[in-house]
Amino acid sequence: MLLNRTSSGGRWRIRPDGPAKVTGELTYLTDMTKEDMLYGLVLRSEHPHARIISVQTDKAKQLQGVHAVLTYMDVPGLNAFGIAHPDQPVLCEDRARYVGDAIATVAAETLAIAQQALEQIEVEYEILPPVDDPELAILDDAPLLHPQGNTLHRTAFNRGDAEEGFKLCTHIIEETYYTPRQMHTYMETEGGLFVPGDDGRLTVYSPTQHGFMDRLQLSRILAIPQSDIRIVSSPIGGSFGGKDELNVQPYGALLAVNTGRPIKMHNSRWESVRAGLKRHPMKITMKTGTDADGKLLAHQVYIISDTGPYSTLGAEVLNFATEHVIGPYRYEHLDVKGVSVFTNNGMSGEFRGFGGNQAIFALEGQMDRLAERLGLEPWAFRKLNMRQLDDLGPFDQPIAMTEGADQVWDAVSTSPLWLEREKIPLEGQSAAEPWIKTGIGAAFTMHGAGLGVGIPDPAGGRLELAVDGKIEAVFGYEEFGQGLIAALEQMLIEQFDFAQEDIRIIIGDTDVVPDSGSTTASRATAMMWKSLQRLHTPFTEQLLERAGAIVGRPAEQLRLSEGGVRKKVGDELLITYGELAKAEGEPIRCETSFVFPTSPTDRVGAHFMYTYSAVAVKVELNTLTGRVKVLQQYHAVAAGPVINPQGFLGQIEGGSSMALGFALMEDAVMEKGHYMTRNLDTYLVPTIADQRGKIEVQPIEHLPENDEHGPRGIGEVGSVTLAPAIAAAIHQASGKWVTKLPIDPSYLQETPFFLSKAVNGE
Amino acid sequence: MSMNVQETLTSPLVWHPQTAAEAWQYKQTYGIHSVFVAGGTLLRTHWESGAAPMPQHFIDLSAIRGLNEIRVGEEGLLIGGQSKLQECRTNPLLQRHFPMAVDAIRSIAAPSIRNLATIGGNIASIVGDSVPALLVYDASLIWYNGQTEQEEKLSDWLLAAGQSGYRNDRLLLSLKLPLKSETSRGDRDENSTNSKMKRFGAFHKVGRREAFTPSVVTAAVSGSITDTGLLNKIQIAVGGGQTIPRRLIEVEKEIVGTAVDGEMLRHLFDRALELYEPREDVFASASYRKQTAANLIVTELWKASGRFIGQGG
Repeated sequence: MLLNRTSSGGRWRIRPDGPAKVTGELTYLTDMTKEDMLYGLVLRSEHPHARIISVQTDKAKQLQGVHAVLTYMDVPGLNAFGIAHPDQPVLCEDRARYVGDAIATVAAETLAIAQQALEQIEVEYEILPPVDDPELAILDDAPLLHPQGNTLHRTAFNRGDAEEGFKLCTHIIEETYYTPRQMHTYMETEGGLFVPGDDGRLTVYSPTQHGFMDRLQLSRILAIPQSDIRIVSSPIGGSFGGKDELNVQPYGALLAVNTGRPIKMHNSRWESVRAGLKRHPMKITMKTGTDADGKLLAHQVYIISDTGPYSTLGAEVLNFATEHVIGPYRYEHLDVKGVSVFTNNGMSGEFRGFGGNQAIFALEGQMDRLAERLGLEPWAFRKLNMRQLDDLGPFDQPIAMTEGADQVWDAVSTSPLWLEREKIPLEGQSAAEPWIKTGIGAAFTMHGAGLGVGIPDPAGGRLELAVDGKIEAVFGYEEFGQGLIAALEQMLIEQFDFAQEDIRIIIGDTDVVPDSGSTTASRATAMMWKSLQRLHTPFTEQLLERAGAIVGRPAEQLRLSEGGVRKKVGDELLITYGELAKAEGEPIRCETSFVFPTSPTDRVGAHFMYTYSAVAVKVELNTLTGRVKVLQQYHAVAAGPVINPQGFLGQIEGGSSMALGFALMEDAVMEKGHYMTRNLDTYLVPTIADQRGKIEVQPIEHLPENDEHGPRGIGEVGSVTLAPAIAAAIHQASGKWVTKLPIDPSYLQETPFFLSKAVNGE
Repeated sequence: MSMNVQETLTSPLVWHPQTAAEAWQYKQTYGIHSVFVAGGTLLRTHWESGAAPMPQHFIDLSAIRGLNEIRVGEEGLLIGGQSKLQECRTNPLLQRHFPMAVDAIRSIAAPSIRNLATIGGNIASIVGDSVPALLVYDASLIWYNGQTEQEEKLSDWLLAAGQSGYRNDRLLLSLKLPLKSETSRGDRDENSTNSKMKRFGAFHKVGRREAFTPSVVTAAVSGSITDTGLLNKIQIAVGGGQTIPRRLIEVEKEIVGTAVDGEMLRHLFDRALELYEPREDVFASASYRKQTAANLIVTELWKASGRFIGQGG
């Protein structure tokens, strides 16, 4: 059954944070102010690559209203940050490696004074040639951006002998695919309020996807204990991976500690583009071969990823891409290599899909080309080579088995949209407007959730009865628009029978919440579900035993319900949660902590839990302009039970809208290390007018009987498969193969048929 | 809300003249340190991007009486320069007599911006997306030069404005669109009993997304075909991006009066590629823009011709 409002019935709930968001009432962290606050700004490098000879701050410091002008010499602790490998300078010492590199930071009484102070800072640069091409950057004669060289990370995975395998192949497709530097384009740009307390502690109100990681990183920079820092990190106006790494926090924190005054920082969109993360642009070369019957024999891949100047999660993204270019198919021989390369381009980093988007565009492109070469229907060709139920994962690692691959394949193959494909005339021509061509394509993925083997991946949460009688659910996860609060509320209502009014959800405050790990990698809802499973019995027992003692009945005869505890039979409310909270006794509180399940393998980054998903898409190509419109989408997603129908739909639709941008228009264009798209008037994301087509979402909720892992992640998959499906649809429409995203309209443009001499031979 | 880092220590002064003469006087007084501001929607983007410095004096045109009216004058429809794009878009006179202009205006920016931006501002930007449609309608501009009102053909002004070092201190008062007897009968009335002519007209804007996008190519095509298949009238204008819009007068003259057939369409296509000289940027090459414009233009004629050409007929 398709997922929508009607089919969801009573499970379709208005999300608790919805009304305040759509009315604009909600105060985001970047809306916060404090009476005596100062404004913080950052001076960033003018050049993508330069030696810094000197930084003179005297003039800036002398300006009236300026309270601090800090350089690297004012960083008390580690002058570096980075989730995986801290190598990005908080403030540059002698070298700037990209146009967002921070050189100084200023606090002043007004924004205008702070701006003027930035202009008064004199930086003497020796301009160095920018290393802007990752392929040149790894050559021996390239200027070194880091002492250890320009290679951040290399990956390799082999099975069998690919060279020998290709000798046995009847059909071989070789192709190179290019993907763009996509921007997260969250509505709320980076910022926050940084408040030094009278107790010597620092409170940071600033969006992040992992408060405890920010706390750790800031404690290293400030050289103060983590316990002296409190991170308040939700609500967030969008993140998509882009705010997981530190952004303005080091500067706000340094300025607050230095001046003793609250500091407000909020990036303009211009600064957000310049300094912020983007999706890794990748060039993926593939050679894939089959035997005469279409059975995959050998698959060879080389990924080159432009990671920009510093590490952040560049290595982890490459690991993910390396796993996902293998994907859900069986091959005898595999030879996969990848390299993540430092350049003087913008910072690349974490972004919804995490390297899967690039990998699947290439991999599914190969599948469609091979199918055509073989004269096979493309979906049937996939089935021929698809993984079987108990196959190992892409890295030959044990994985949590589900029938997801088959279920998703079946759903697409019988979907009306896919069946319509056969009815589209050759090269999709319409009779009335022959320059309009339509086509239908589809693509498939298995997308890993969690951080993977070798990376700490804690999870957990807490339930307690608060003194005012509210049931508090306390988790270290973040609400950045994805609907986490709504999902948690729905689980508490459905699994415990609480009423909405009984519940208080507390997230995003390191002083209060347990370390539940990061809100990334499609993991949070699954980990909340797992936490509640673990907490259900002990928490219920504690509540019922306390209630039983008060009302004088055995706990076994009682049940939790809306408003309080009732008899198992009958509707009578025996005691409210408020009364229960006032009763004598130890606080009622249960906490759980565990780790995200991982595969028993040594392969770093290998995943254990996967979501299977596929999309069929119908597009319309106008050959006069070369422009493509997406007319209709059908998504099949095998991710276990749907926790929150509205949230599920929102994730798939929202992810698909990002994928539409990735496929058709989004690219942060750089020339010689400078952004050409510096604002949203040139960096274009899809508007509602680009997304008028119908989107259907088919959730496949079935899991194997003995499955203990529950719902799989759906935060990313919606963004993964659409681009290759669009490319396949364009091929049906026009006969052309797209290899580069975003799709260049000039490649699809044709001279009108009525001008061709052959036809016009009269 | 993001802080505006462009905020300066000395904010500009905003003058609110009540008459054109007063506005012109401010411009004389403050010269290059001042700018006429209507909706300010485009200027703001220039200041923000650093493409132009924010001057010390804004001369706000919104209070000048009579500049936001749309009315029928002796020689045509007069549209006050301060008319908002949204007012133009919904104006029944414009909708009835100048549908391509309405189509063009509807394609500009987004609703919130069209509520602020003015038709005068769009024209004064030289590369506004309304301009090609207005060119096809033979629009004129009414300027105030400090003493009198001056009328100038839009096409003439665009030629002058395209010259390097061009400077214009005049104030754009209004836009005049001639009401021709045939257009007044209704542009889209193909079966009019008064005419055996088949009329056609279309405005196209191609951007990098479907809405709220800077244009890559704009093209307006309008004309009529006799019942014997001859091209009776033709007006073609092209623009887009930073390209100054122009009429393709040369090819209009070459094809008017000829039969609309494959040969003519090929000629039109080739000449459009030659005559249209778009400015390129990192997002779209000149050759893509040329091909797009030529494709759209010939296809309009092909559609008007009855779609037989090239179909074996």
